[in-house]
Amino acid sequence: MDEYQTEEETAFVVEDVSTIIKESVEAAIGGNAYQHSRVNQWTTSVVEQCLSQLSKLGKPFKYIVTCIIMQKNGAGLQTASACFWDNTTDDSCAVRWENKSMYCIVSVFGLAI
Amino acid sequence: MEGSDTYLIRPNHQHKFKPAIVKECIREIVREQLSGLKYEPEEVSELSRSLAECIKDKVKNAGFDRYKLVVQVVIGEQRGQGVKMSSRCLWDADTDNYAEDVFMNDSLFCVVAVFGSYYY
Repeated sequence: MDEYQTEEETAFVVEDVSTIIKESVEAAIGGNAYQHSRVNQWTTSVVEQCLSQLSKLGKPFKYIVTCIIMQKNGAGLQTASACFWDNTTDDSCAVRWENKSMYCIVSVFGLAI
Repeated sequence: MEGSDTYLIRPNHQHKFKPAIVKECIREIVREQLSGLKYEPEEVSELSRSLAECIKDKVKNAGFDRYKLVVQVVIGEQRGQGVKMSSRCLWDADTDNYAEDVFMNDSLFCVVAVFGSYYY
């Protein structure tokens, strides 16, 4: 009954992850305007939705997902990351999304097991 | 059960990722590099990158054997806007952990999160 997975099936595919992120953000925030009382719920929903979709890919990875939402008022925002990992298997994907009233930046890091 | 097994599927206590120590590493570097600094759009990209590298190197040398590290740095301008950051991880809660710290001055805020994941 042993089944072996091909490389494609076990690799971190950035495009797939990017699609998952975009869908999660659209589903959670969509066309809503920034509301202080709902931001908690939005960021939580984005990271949880992403993680649940990532886990469904069934790949041998540990995942770290972060989401930042910032209200637009002309203020600047910058993110950067540095990793100590296995470059041949581990990868990351970041998506920047915005609507009229807020920015949303989601990063996913995949660490091969 | 004789002889010793060389595979380590769990870190021993000494080498386990310790959030308090990592948080102190973050705090020290961030204070050193950002105290009194103003938010400059042209410089913040390089600043955040070098901060992330610097923290990664410091934590790497803290003796957490067989840990993969992910350092995320967010620097934003303070203009009274709302900001919220959340994270979730799918990992081994027995071995893996994270540390974070927030720094603020009159002009900017900085959030740093360091995630440590044990490599079996």
